[in-house]
Amino acid sequence: MNLIPWKNKQSDEPSRGGTLAALRTDVDRLFDTFFREPLGNLEWPFGDSGRWSPAVDVAETDQEVTVRAEVPGIEPGQLDVTLTGRQLVLSGEKKESFEKSGKDFRQVESRYGSFRRTIPLPETIDPDKVSAEFAHGVLTIRVPKSPVAPPKQIQVQVGGNRDS
Amino acid sequence: MSNDARITKNEAENSSSAEQTRCGQCYRPNVDIIEKSDELLVVADVPGATGDSIDVDFEDGALTIRAAVAPREDNRNYLLREYGVGDFFRTFRVSEAIDAGKISAQCADGVLTLHLPKAEAAKPRKIAVQSA
Repeated sequence: MNLIPWKNKQSDEPSRGGTLAALRTDVDRLFDTFFREPLGNLEWPFGDSGRWSPAVDVAETDQEVTVRAEVPGIEPGQLDVTLTGRQLVLSGEKKESFEKSGKDFRQVESRYGSFRRTIPLPETIDPDKVSAEFAHGVLTIRVPKSPVAPPKQIQVQVGGNRDS
Repeated sequence: MSNDARITKNEAENSSSAEQTRCGQCYRPNVDIIEKSDELLVVADVPGATGDSIDVDFEDGALTIRAAVAPREDNRNYLLREYGVGDFFRTFRVSEAIDAGKISAQCADGVLTLHLPKAEAAKPRKIAVQSA
């Protein structure tokens, strides 16, 4: 990619890759949404509604569930993490890095705007001990699992008299 | 259906010029480029990289951003994996209209900002004519 000051300032449209690539992303998203939630999500999947949502990793070990989201450029004060029952809700807003002034030309690849994501968590979590940490553009939420009661052995009583 | 199919990051186009010393995928950071009257701003999203782990080099007219990111822990069972974790790499060719000696960089909250001031030669200048 060349970093040469632009001579042609006619087009002010941000370029986001080719149209074909954009269509492919849309179709991928449509299929993916369908297989995950066949009827749950009936939002119009095509086109750029101007919204974005951060990519999320959910991992579990025997002790805890870790949710990690890539949210570069968001100030920690503009991130909201809520746990309702087993639903973890991440919301926030990413502001444009630089104010738009009429004369500047720009090529924009990153996405801005507000987002909201709901992540279902496994049943065995302990909602009182959630912790969230934000460092270098990555949000990490740790949810410890509640200790599972050890399996209980049940004695089988032998009823009746088997010897006749 | 594998979650890996949803990974949204782009792979780096050309990391072959530099031999990688770590295994794993290399990603191309999303950048915004803003031209102002006196400088170009390059704003790159490098989530997970710290200021110390980012290398910005300028050599032979090429500006290279290389950001190391700590790899994912492997001892976990992933329920959802939407993004790839790996180093970031991207190269830009910088024209002579940029004053390469004055390029500066700063990193905050996973966003790297590069300031590329335009060269004095590229700025319009008026020359005074001396009368003999």
